[in-house]
Amino acid sequence: MLAIEKKRLNELLRRMNRDFQVYVPYLENGTGKFAPYQEERELYLEMNTLLPPKDIFFPQTEKMYKFRAAGNELEIEEIAEQKEKQVVFGIRSCDAFSIDCLDKVFLSRGYEDAFYKNKRENTLLVGLACTAVGDTCFCQSMGLNPQEAVGVDLQVLDLGAEWGFKARTAAGQELLAKYGDVLHETGASPLPAEEFKLKVEVEGVPEKLSRMFDHPVWEEVSRKCLGCALCTYLCPTCHCFDVSGKVKGEEGYRFRCWDSCMFSEYTRMAGGHNPRPTKKERVRNRFMHKLSYFVERYGQLLCTGCGRCLAKCPVNMDITAVIRKIKEAEVE
Amino acid sequence: MNANPLVPIRGRIIKIVQETPDVKTFHVSTTGGEKPFAPKPGQLAMLSLPQAGEAMFSITSQGPNHLELAIKEVGQLTGALHQVEEGQECGIRGPYGNGFPLDYLKGKDLLFIGGGIGLAPVRSLINHCIENRAEFGKMYVVYGARSVADLVFKEDLFENWPKVENMEVYTTIDRPEEGWTGHVAFVPAYVEELGFKPMTTITCGPPIMIKFVLQALARMGFNDADVITTLEMRMKCGIGKCGRCNIGSLYVCLDGPVFTLEQLKKLPPEY
Amino acid sequence: MKEITQKMRDTARELLSSGQVALVLGWEKGYPWYKSAPTFIDKVEDVERLVFDEFCHNNLSKYLLDLAAVDGKVALFVKGCDSRGVNRLIQDNQVKREQLYIIGIPCPGLKDPDDAAGKNWGDEINGAVKCQDCRFPNPVVYDLLLGEKVPAVERGRETRELIERLEKMKPDERYEFWAGQFNRCIRCYACRNICPACNCRECVFDRAVPEWLGKANNLVENQFMQLTRAIHVAGRCIECGECERACPVNIPLMALNRKIINDIEELFGEEPAGLDPEKKTPLGRFELDDPEKFM
Repeated sequence: MLAIEKKRLNELLRRMNRDFQVYVPYLENGTGKFAPYQEERELYLEMNTLLPPKDIFFPQTEKMYKFRAAGNELEIEEIAEQKEKQVVFGIRSCDAFSIDCLDKVFLSRGYEDAFYKNKRENTLLVGLACTAVGDTCFCQSMGLNPQEAVGVDLQVLDLGAEWGFKARTAAGQELLAKYGDVLHETGASPLPAEEFKLKVEVEGVPEKLSRMFDHPVWEEVSRKCLGCALCTYLCPTCHCFDVSGKVKGEEGYRFRCWDSCMFSEYTRMAGGHNPRPTKKERVRNRFMHKLSYFVERYGQLLCTGCGRCLAKCPVNMDITAVIRKIKEAEVE
Repeated sequence: MNANPLVPIRGRIIKIVQETPDVKTFHVSTTGGEKPFAPKPGQLAMLSLPQAGEAMFSITSQGPNHLELAIKEVGQLTGALHQVEEGQECGIRGPYGNGFPLDYLKGKDLLFIGGGIGLAPVRSLINHCIENRAEFGKMYVVYGARSVADLVFKEDLFENWPKVENMEVYTTIDRPEEGWTGHVAFVPAYVEELGFKPMTTITCGPPIMIKFVLQALARMGFNDADVITTLEMRMKCGIGKCGRCNIGSLYVCLDGPVFTLEQLKKLPPEY
Repeated sequence: MKEITQKMRDTARELLSSGQVALVLGWEKGYPWYKSAPTFIDKVEDVERLVFDEFCHNNLSKYLLDLAAVDGKVALFVKGCDSRGVNRLIQDNQVKREQLYIIGIPCPGLKDPDDAAGKNWGDEINGAVKCQDCRFPNPVVYDLLLGEKVPAVERGRETRELIERLEKMKPDERYEFWAGQFNRCIRCYACRNICPACNCRECVFDRAVPEWLGKANNLVENQFMQLTRAIHVAGRCIECGECERACPVNIPLMALNRKIINDIEELFGEEPAGLDPEKKTPLGRFELDDPEKFM
């Protein structure tokens, strides 16, 4: 396997950053997040980032088109950002699979989302195998391997004193060839991942949920929810968005921004009717979407077990506990 | 159609028809005078005045060079639309949604039931059937509104449609009104009173009307697979991405807005 | 704390089985071990779920806003700060005192769950910043008090020191500091939704028409949102610190809230919110001799 000494990783990233816009995980005010590579900054590779890398492909706020409306006339100009080639370095298995979920949403079913596609097509993913497992991590229970990410071009493995690299696609192979001169061949073997503290059995849950729409469990589960968007905004797979605009005089632009199914106005129509009027319906929709509707539509779960919602929900809403409740629930 | 489905093309409102005190029909062409796109009956369009907003509307009819959208004033964008004059440029994108199942409807007798602005999507199909009259069986229209002033598409209801061969039009208003010699009843009651034999039905109207129409049709022995309706939900993208118009695993903008009652009964009642 | 937990369960059992209350708001153990979560107990057999430990952060008074559907009295457990939240809501006519059975718990100061992440039970865990300089560890209103009252102890000065640091800054530096903080805001509204002083039926931020606040995430909108929020809870913030704990990106919201409290107390005299449910708040009343230092 090709490898680099851990203390020399910056040499590789510096080189890479000349050819690509490289995103790496940093710790900023105690919050882990992906940001453009800067030589002098210390990387955060101990644990996964709190903020998922989804905003690299699907920014929280993204301008779509500019307009000028004067009198009866209207001009529309698309804001087409031609994305340079980029690399996301250090993406974990849970987040790599979330990109796969986002690909399903934005690139399939009749329409391709041009804004997403532009960034996605120009991005190489470099996975980073987990050795430390967080208290709220449960990707393994969701069928993922913490050391082998789905859909990455290159997988980085922790060899103790070195980082090892395994190409997973032709593009990953090219990367290794390109930077071969800073890599060396090693015989070291990867450190294993720690034992997962959190486990949950998800088998049969999607099917069972399709018969649980009216089940009393939703009343119980939703009661403590505060209806904030923390879980959805930290979630690597949540992808709902709103479209809005900004006007200044005759000019303005339209943009899209993250939205959350937990907000009451999310489904409220202009006339006032709201198909999901209380938090019970909204919480139910969120879990149904993740664990049942998405499976029906795209054939996979919309939860990757990253555990961010559980780690940060201010009322400790626990999706694994919800899954257990669903498993235990009596259904006619 | 723009290559980027989320960015509208420029359109122009070439004609505005005041249907009722709060409903206007907007005829929209491209700025080049062409039809923006060719929708199937029952499909939707995203119309925008970018300064005010963008929203999804059903396309009620189309001509060789334009689309028609009948819009009720309820919110910010619709309020702004009701202020504009002919010649106003706008943004438009589409067509979205599945539209009515034309192949399934061919050769069948059809009962159209509408209430208020709910006639707008149904009208796209009625007009299609009239244009291709030979392909369909007998046609009945039952339509009602709160008052005479609230009846939309009066020219079609009282002039054009009654002249069509093998087509019967029944209009009603909710309460008696001076000068109105027609029927007075709520739409569901009128449908039952008219005593139709079960056939394929297309219905759209306010939720409360739909609820009672469906009950009436059930009593009259109509088959769930032959009761077709179109749904309304809050929409932002129109292409099944932004998330908010889901009913279970389906998106109304993409998999709807047209559903049979048989399909709806299998979905969560969240609309 | 085991003793308190036992007393909580006994009290809840008694209240529910005698029919005195229809619902008990308390805390139960969550996951991981350093999380305790709000729980709703309406059956005697569920009282064993109740716990009190150093991770019972949630101010349960927030849930009093959801009580419309409850038929009967509601019991809730309150720490010192939480009890001020109850008074605040009574003050705003959001809930009636008669509908409540308030069980007070003198609070020993809680631990920081973020510091506990990755550690084991029994390890040394930092105290929660929000509890460092708590002025009211003992409930200020209750029907029943579990345990002995505790003295107010200063355990640290993080928030106060930050305020002192900010006060010494030039306006531009201060702007830079807060801009850097609000730039990180992800606009999840956890701070608003967890706050017992945020009790508007429809929040101004949720209104689409007129659109007071745009939905875009950028510094201008984020600042507008956070400053509006801070000003809106001015004089009503009961210092529970839940906004700061709930914030996923560590914005020191209590420095802002506490600074405003300091200013109000300097201008109007010491009048901490939520002590007296009868009295109008300093910013909610008008008197001819109100200070007008800003004029």
